[in-house]
Amino acid sequence: MTVSAGTFAFVADLVRRRSAIVLEPGKEYLVESRLLPLARDAGHADVDAYVSRVRRAPDEAVHDAVVEALTTNETSWFRDVGPFDALRDHIVPAWRDAGRGTRLRVWSAACSTGQEPYSIAMALADHVPAPGLDVLATDLSEQVLERARRGLYSQLEVNRGMPAPLLVRHLTRVGSGWQVADDVRRAVTFRRHNLLDAPPVGGPFDIVFLRNVLIYFDPVAKRAVLERVRGALRPGGWLVLGAAETTVGVHDGFERVVLGRTAVYRVGAPARQPLIPSPASSPVAPRPPVTAGTAPVSTVPTTIRGAGLR
Amino acid sequence: MRALVIDDSRTMRRIVARTLHDLGFETLEAEHGQHALDMLAEGPAPDLACIDWNMPVMDGLTFVMQARANPDLRGMTLMMVTTESEQSQIVRALAAGAHEYLIKPFSTDAVRDKLELLGLLPVEEHA
Amino acid sequence: MSTVIAGDDVYAIAEDLFAAMVDGEPGTVRPWTAPVPDWADPVHAWVDLHGAWSGRAVVTTERTTADDLARALLGLPADEPVADEDLQDAFGEVANVVGGNVKSLLPITGTMGLPQVAHVAPVLPGSSVITQVLLDWGGRALELTVRDAP
Repeated sequence: MTVSAGTFAFVADLVRRRSAIVLEPGKEYLVESRLLPLARDAGHADVDAYVSRVRRAPDEAVHDAVVEALTTNETSWFRDVGPFDALRDHIVPAWRDAGRGTRLRVWSAACSTGQEPYSIAMALADHVPAPGLDVLATDLSEQVLERARRGLYSQLEVNRGMPAPLLVRHLTRVGSGWQVADDVRRAVTFRRHNLLDAPPVGGPFDIVFLRNVLIYFDPVAKRAVLERVRGALRPGGWLVLGAAETTVGVHDGFERVVLGRTAVYRVGAPARQPLIPSPASSPVAPRPPVTAGTAPVSTVPTTIRGAGLR
Repeated sequence: MRALVIDDSRTMRRIVARTLHDLGFETLEAEHGQHALDMLAEGPAPDLACIDWNMPVMDGLTFVMQARANPDLRGMTLMMVTTESEQSQIVRALAAGAHEYLIKPFSTDAVRDKLELLGLLPVEEHA
Repeated sequence: MSTVIAGDDVYAIAEDLFAAMVDGEPGTVRPWTAPVPDWADPVHAWVDLHGAWSGRAVVTTERTTADDLARALLGLPADEPVADEDLQDAFGEVANVVGGNVKSLLPITGTMGLPQVAHVAPVLPGSSVITQVLLDWGGRALELTVRDAP
């Protein structure tokens, strides 16, 4: 059962106006699943009935709740895919070419239960030799940080966006769940931090992931957070935002750079370092030969994009 | 986009097909690996096959190996959809040529995520 | 050394099944806190596991609950009667998903048979119950049992 066209249009418009997140046709099931708990709590049989009431009696708090329900961080691995390909295929090679030293410092801000920083570490496992990678992962909630440090996820959680080759390589079954391997966990430090405060210790950073959290701030705070992030980045450093987010119109201290299908943002590089990255090598790793029986895990493809690019 | 759903359970075929329809796919169904191969011999290969492991007549692993050995089926993405969730089983399936692996039970969001990883679904446009 | 399958892990499997596939949202199952129900019209679905360890995973519930499960999985409306064939297939698939995930808890990978469904409790001679979990699904009881074959 799915929401009516009218319900979807109203909700999509409300969400877009309040959060800049666009719900395209095809996302009706998301509106249905995210608003059903709200509808039930309010005593309505279904989402259409609930939204129809919301429309008849507009209430800021109710609007907030609807927007929040639709924009809450969906914690998945390798969210949106593209930024992690861009990280591996463009950003890290550019960092390496710049010859900045052997440690790559990444800040995953608003890391929640850890899927993002662990995804970063896994994406770069073959591209930044250990101990060359430092991922600082911060969040406001000590409770989610505790979960993140443990690195133990349920079957449902690992089903969300984790490429199977990386699952078997970097996680191990523990009871009914999966745990992130020690070497990946070692690359990530979790620390409590409020984005409205001064940047955390551990910078300056080469890369900052600030994905799907700016939507919770008003325009003034948004700009302030971006200003602090800019200060925490090295010259030539990279900022990765959520799929529907941009610094354009919010903070003019970043240059928008298109890498493949992803847009990222860069802080002014030193004069000798061009802002346009060098052409990328093919992002598709060669397929392993077909063999019956088990092949060693190292020949299993580690590329994140499998069959898509042919 | 077209997908072939291979599972001996009619219930599971219906669930997978419904999920794929919600994501914009047309679907065909087969009850086991041999049935699937017979269907594939008759028409253009679909973009995606969702394959259960434990089925009578021909199981999913065998189907994957057969499909990968067939040049006519090169373009078809192979995703296991199964309760087999031991590490060693996933490794076996990937080594046999499966492109992705979805553990049951799964949500619609999980299927969407996998299809985005595989490039079979567009990811949200960037601002 | 006897094989231990933790009740918590079996409960987690059931939670995941209901959240992901039956109800589409988490929070619809709780532990069953009342006494073990006296089944009036039960239906049982099970799979047999083989390998280094052999046993059976059984799901038991009232016929009416199994019908509700089948309707949820098949996307049928609340009042639609469930044909025997559909019940067998849907409830069998529940046992398949539960059993497959129980199998993956074992230290050594084994194999699993096809699901079976009956109105009479299946007997595995000489077996003993090693894990039993009782669930409350919207006030309806479900029993998950893992038996150790001799």
